[in-house]
Amino acid sequence: MSDRWSSRPLAAVSKPGFDTPAPSSRATQPALVVIILGVALVLSITVAVTIGPADIRFDEVWASIASHLGVGSSPLSVLRDGIVWELRMPRVLTAGAVGAGLALSGAVMQALTRNPLADPYLLGLSSGASLGAVSVLLLGVAVLLPLAAFLGALLALAVTLLLASALGRITPTRTVLAGLAVSSLAGAVTSFVIFWTVTGDSYREILGWLLGSLSGARWPAVAIAGTAIVLVGIPIMATGRLLDSFAFGDTSAAALGVNVQGTRWALLAGTALLTGAMVSVSGSIGFVGLILPHAVRLLVGPGHRALLPLSALVGAIFLIWADTIARTIFDPRELPVGIVTALIGAPVFALLLARRRADA
Amino acid sequence: MNRILAPLVLATTAALLLAGCTSSERSPGLKPAPSVVVDNCGTTVTFDESPQRVLTIKSTSTEMLLALGLQKRIIGTGFQDGPVADEWAAAAGAIPEISEMVPGQEAVLEAEPDFVYAGWESNFSPEGAGERDELQALGVNTYVSPAACKEEGYKPAKLDFAEINREIAEIADIFDVEADVLLAEQKATVAAIEPDTRGLSALWYSSGTDTPYVGAGIGAPALVLDTIGLDNIAGDIDDTWSPFAWEAVVDANPDVIVLVDATWNTAASKVELLESNPATRNLDAVKNSRYLYIPFAAGEAGVRTAPAAADLAEQLKALTF
Repeated sequence: MSDRWSSRPLAAVSKPGFDTPAPSSRATQPALVVIILGVALVLSITVAVTIGPADIRFDEVWASIASHLGVGSSPLSVLRDGIVWELRMPRVLTAGAVGAGLALSGAVMQALTRNPLADPYLLGLSSGASLGAVSVLLLGVAVLLPLAAFLGALLALAVTLLLASALGRITPTRTVLAGLAVSSLAGAVTSFVIFWTVTGDSYREILGWLLGSLSGARWPAVAIAGTAIVLVGIPIMATGRLLDSFAFGDTSAAALGVNVQGTRWALLAGTALLTGAMVSVSGSIGFVGLILPHAVRLLVGPGHRALLPLSALVGAIFLIWADTIARTIFDPRELPVGIVTALIGAPVFALLLARRRADA
Repeated sequence: MNRILAPLVLATTAALLLAGCTSSERSPGLKPAPSVVVDNCGTTVTFDESPQRVLTIKSTSTEMLLALGLQKRIIGTGFQDGPVADEWAAAAGAIPEISEMVPGQEAVLEAEPDFVYAGWESNFSPEGAGERDELQALGVNTYVSPAACKEEGYKPAKLDFAEINREIAEIADIFDVEADVLLAEQKATVAAIEPDTRGLSALWYSSGTDTPYVGAGIGAPALVLDTIGLDNIAGDIDDTWSPFAWEAVVDANPDVIVLVDATWNTAASKVELLESNPATRNLDAVKNSRYLYIPFAAGEAGVRTAPAAADLAEQLKALTF
């Protein structure tokens, strides 16, 4: 079998370092880094729930949370207890799960398509989900919003894969191009619906959703995003070795005994499922899935066994803090978190790139 | 044929009307009415004669003209926020709706207005009714409710009834009609309102589910709440309306919630949301159903602001604590 993609334009965008082995000094550290980041994640959750527009002391917040976990009783009034347990806690946990899911999906998508510009939304997922959400918000389709968004994402994925396979074997380039076509179409229909039906100030709702927002995250959102991480995310995290074999092209992967087409299908579907679940609770939060895997790669090298769990951890921590900023910086106003992820993320990434150049 | 004749008929009518004005309404023998020149949100608009064919965009402009008895001058409406207040329903009955949304440039020109009167500045854009200077170059005068001006120096620092009354007087001036009766009525309505003295706080809940969009510190909601003696929990935000946070709402635990009722976002749907959201269902106002209701169209600065404040004051009086 010949290596059919390396000469194709999108595959050619591949970044140096993307398919070269990591320096061993970096690659040997991941276990330690995972532990450090794991601790950082727990600390982030612990601290982030104590920050918000309402002034509630650190110890009161945690006494309240403990009471809900069955330890002691809450020192807070019913309302302030509600702020901690019904608003902040589910929101912080959802942010963590969504951040982890998006960063992980992005890393896998970049590996599968060998395209550094790939992100979790590549296969039309976000535009499909947006269309589902817009149908509920503006056309009044009587389906729960997360379900509509999820169905929209899966529909877009199905059309993308059908289109890609109609062109022949599913290849990275074909998948990317089919995703582009589906995205454009779903995006146009979404814009059309918005343009045609928005009345009064109802556009605000959909704008928040299109930019990505966690302000509506309650316990059902935690359940959706958390289940997706456990059932789909963790199995995907374990596919690092498999993805490493893809790094040098399908031919070498096949030579290593990997069922190239089957693996690609399964991982694409799994990633799509994961992304669909995340989009359904948070809208399309940009940047996390595209840039964070690169940032992690710059730190630990391209080996996927370390890259996948680390991307998930960094994604979780990053989105928890981005959302904490989104809900507090203009207190008591809120920003859609998608604005914050890009505003912070882009300069941080530029800094990482510059540092890497200085190192080299 | 019609298309060709229409401007001609229009011009003739205008000329006749103008002649009528000078000969009967004005003192005979004196020179014609001087032009009215206004500086509207930074755009200079010159009215050589009072507008005869008016297109109104948004409800505030339609209702302003109805309140001044100018319904015959309105050739069509666009982007109305809801039905007009009951008192004007009969007068508004015959006015055609040009467009449910903001009418496009061509739809505006096709209606051949000599004046487009809009509620928001954003209604005048290439995607909307057209840029103001382009319309003016075609002989179509434009006007935006000054309360909605966004430019520095024109945006009201904090809306008050004097600002609304200035608009009433300016529009009356442009149309060469008397505003005294309407102004007296508005002032009497405001004067008759007894502000609540119980020291209550309020949330003005306009729209939004995940992120509530609320009345903030300087617009019509702030004016109405101040007038009826309620302390706005979002009053510190220097804006007319603003996105807010549920956490801040729960933290403030307002005594009453003002619910804006729109066809696309009903007050009932807001009550349902407040009662089902685990964080908000324990709010005092929600547990005791202490809600005040206001139609969307009455929530923006205009001739309905005073009566809306009076209405909310009545509703508030009926609530017990």
